[in-house]
Amino acid sequence: MRIATRLSGITLSDTQDRPVRLGSLWAERPVVLAFVRHFG
Amino acid sequence: MFCREQVAQLRDRIEDIRDRGAEVAVIGNGAPQFAAAFADELEFDGRLLTDPDLVSYRAAGLRRGRAAALSPRLPLNAARALLDGHRQKAIQGDPWQLGGVFVIRPEGQLTFRHVSREAGDHPRVDDVLAALSESAPALAEGEAAPGFLAAGIGRTLSLFADPTIVLSFSRPGFQLHSLRFDPRDLDVDLAGRRCLVTGANSGLGFETALALADLGAEVVMLCRSLERGEEAAEEIRRRTGSPRVEVAKVDLASFDSVRRAAAELADSRADVLVHNAGLLPAGRVETPDGLELTFAVHVAGPHLMTRLLAPRLARSADARVVWVSSGGMYAKSLELEDPQWRDREYDGVAAYAETKRAQVVLADLWAEELGERGVVVNSMHPGWADTPGVETSIPGFHKLTRPILRTPAEGADTIVWLAASRAGRRRTASFFLDREARCKHYLPFTREREADRRALWQMCERLTAE
Repeated sequence: MRIATRLSGITLSDTQDRPVRLGSLWAERPVVLAFVRHFG
Repeated sequence: MFCREQVAQLRDRIEDIRDRGAEVAVIGNGAPQFAAAFADELEFDGRLLTDPDLVSYRAAGLRRGRAAALSPRLPLNAARALLDGHRQKAIQGDPWQLGGVFVIRPEGQLTFRHVSREAGDHPRVDDVLAALSESAPALAEGEAAPGFLAAGIGRTLSLFADPTIVLSFSRPGFQLHSLRFDPRDLDVDLAGRRCLVTGANSGLGFETALALADLGAEVVMLCRSLERGEEAAEEIRRRTGSPRVEVAKVDLASFDSVRRAAAELADSRADVLVHNAGLLPAGRVETPDGLELTFAVHVAGPHLMTRLLAPRLARSADARVVWVSSGGMYAKSLELEDPQWRDREYDGVAAYAETKRAQVVLADLWAEELGERGVVVNSMHPGWADTPGVETSIPGFHKLTRPILRTPAEGADTIVWLAASRAGRRRTASFFLDREARCKHYLPFTREREADRRALWQMCERLTAE
């Protein structure tokens, strides 16, 4: 399955603890999606 | 140090990225408050999300593990990051999880992929920017290929793991078996193929429909409730960007309903039929046709559906029928004396296992029936997956085994492989677990005689005759 399809249904929290559906990140424009190892 | 280094690199070039009409989103795995502090400190104003459960890391196929995080090149990378002034602070999150960078375009195409092999292994921002140009080609997306060594280890370990059912059917079992998967198998384009999946609005059926739509197939989701089906279809259309997802109503517990649905479906082509709908009732329920409910939904209904769609399937150049059975069938022989539970005290789990055994036998019989017409028929065991069905029907089992249950997508993997891959039509009349044909009996007393097999066929034919 394409990565975009697998990721699109996942919902994560932003820094204000608001839910963000990953699919919405590239709904309108391309996105550079960086996964970092950890914060710190 | 590495993570701030990477985010700092993106921050420094964020205007270049935005000039190309794109946005930056960073996903980390600490708690939200640490993410906020991290963003402030680095003056990063792109989207910052947090995934403490690493769900998205797994979905993106990122690596983790001590060996991966501590590679021989690590000290060199650390020295470089320190020279650049990115000193490691206290770590928030999983220290062994590695990262990666992707560029995804609005239709879901991937134009850049970097999966870190070790801490500090970041892509060059210039390469990321190049992937943002209009002319950047979409990358082919197979699964991550297992290394030669990993495949060898997987082969050796599964020899020992397979007889121990718990290990084999659980999530670790899938992870072990998947080391042997050929990533090219699902590198297929299903454009023009029409796939019918029963019970498609949740669990394994949903994951199957999603994966087939993702591979370009036309998908018909056969559901008992049009409303729930349409909701699920909308999610699949949104996630895959494919408009070719339909819903049709069928209740496999009713011959009338199966006939109505089949009459509707017979107008268009059928290349793949997945018998996935299933249930495990608490007590004996009798259908309007006078059958016990699990027998109706797992055996009689699918038998009739296959009968009615057989002419359509036979017209396809590459037709496949997949019966989603269960490893629970290993405990039972084919029940012919009282399959409707009229004279026995009802036991839902036993009824489930008996009908799952019947499905395996029936799949073989249909493989014989349709073999000459080029239709491949197999049955399979998805393993123990964490689906809504398992959670509501056997809550005790679900609670106990939850940590080792497979995800619905892992459970659906072999269904999709049997329906979509070229390798999936090499065998017919076989029973699969994790993309490999397995034995159909572990216990000698569960073997059925040829006469028993014929008796099942005649019973199904008689019950479903008009």
